[in-house]
Amino acid sequence: MKKYLTALIFGILIYSCDDVFEYSPYAIDFEDHETNLTLKNISKLSSLSVSDTLTIALTGDSHRFYDEIEDMVAKINTEYNIDFLIHTGDFTDYGIPKQYHWSNMLFSELNAPYFVVVGNHDLVSNGEDSYQEMFGDFNFSFIYSSFKFIFMNTNSREFEFNGNVPEINWLKQEIKPDDNFEKAIVVFHAPPYDGDFDPALKEEFMNTLHENDNVLFVTHGHLHSFNLSQPYSDGIPFLNTASAEKNKFVLVKIFENEFKVDVINF
Amino acid sequence: MLLIFKHITLLKRSFIAFIISVIFALIPLNSLGKEPNSNWLKTFYPNHYKVQFAGGIGFLSAGFGYDFFNNRVDLSYFYGYVPQWHSEEDLHSVSLQISGKPFKLDLTHKVKYYPLNIGIFIHHTFGEEYYLTLPDHYPEDYYWWYPGRTGGLFIEGQLNYRYKKPDQNFSEIGFYYRIVTRGVYLTSKFSNSSIPLEDIFSLGLGIVIYY
Repeated sequence: MKKYLTALIFGILIYSCDDVFEYSPYAIDFEDHETNLTLKNISKLSSLSVSDTLTIALTGDSHRFYDEIEDMVAKINTEYNIDFLIHTGDFTDYGIPKQYHWSNMLFSELNAPYFVVVGNHDLVSNGEDSYQEMFGDFNFSFIYSSFKFIFMNTNSREFEFNGNVPEINWLKQEIKPDDNFEKAIVVFHAPPYDGDFDPALKEEFMNTLHENDNVLFVTHGHLHSFNLSQPYSDGIPFLNTASAEKNKFVLVKIFENEFKVDVINF
Repeated sequence: MLLIFKHITLLKRSFIAFIISVIFALIPLNSLGKEPNSNWLKTFYPNHYKVQFAGGIGFLSAGFGYDFFNNRVDLSYFYGYVPQWHSEEDLHSVSLQISGKPFKLDLTHKVKYYPLNIGIFIHHTFGEEYYLTLPDHYPEDYYWWYPGRTGGLFIEGQLNYRYKKPDQNFSEIGFYYRIVTRGVYLTSKFSNSSIPLEDIFSLGLGIVIYY
């Protein structure tokens, strides 16, 4: 009897050392501090005191460039006082839970909150579940100062161009002017001129961005290299963030509905 | 629809393989009414059966396999299952592994210890999202890896105990523990000092019964 009891206690002991066992590379088993981060970070924002100038760090396409993420976070923490950081997607390389865990481990060292829009790499295998578990909904928005930040999934190819990604009707609702914000900043991963964006929705998407003439700029990733241009020559600036791989990040300062862009090397 | 069908058949295949191995295990050779030596089926009978906890191939895995070169090389096939309460959804998978046992210590005439076995494995998870060929909605070479197939390495220690005469069935049992890593974890660690070393390793525990 004693023998069985010892075995049972030993078994329970081993079983409780959850971290040392892996059941599958696809088993999603995040700890509490790794879940529901979008809402948690939005609530952090509401406790910040808003100054006249917003300072936002932008990065994206960090894939497996973990050391670069670490260097970037250290640089931001020591030299810049940012309101928050925006990650324009491809937070992971293969969309596996371990990569979500590692990227978050490094980004959570930031002194400021951070927000991640979903990238195509984040959706491979059961990445869809991991993203939702760690961050929450693919499409979300929040208002900070007099700006509305709208994050949306534009990875149409990952959803087999089913006509529902991006969700234009959702964007239409979100971008509709109201008393709480003056300008909108739209964040997504794949830009509309890319082959991974549903070609059937491209025009409607751009029309929606124009509908209320209230978009300050849009920012996206997917292409890895920094770029600031107006691909449609229509007054909407497109800001392509730099991948951490390039040892660069983008610093945006927004003041009285104007914005200034700096590329910072680290 | 076709993909769902493919998924079901793949799953079926793994179940069938598992069930066949269980049947092999449950029918002692003698009950077939033939001399074991004259039974051609004997060649295909597994040499051992395993049950494993964790180790990256399932919450619980059951397998069978063959021993070569006087028990110095082990080839095993596992079916592994992860129940929903350890993940977002149930996961079914199979894995094939081969290991070498270069060292053997005879502790007593009944107890043997293999202190450092070295093995590699490939692991296939079933399901539409764990594909082995790039689905049609991607251009060629869009992604360079296939989520359905992963692989890795392990080192292992194993303690065997013989409780019956060697010519009897199920005469030997073994316990093993292994430290496992996967290719994708190793390459991440190699190129990034920011990844904690302990994060790329995990533990597996198992029992093996020799036929």
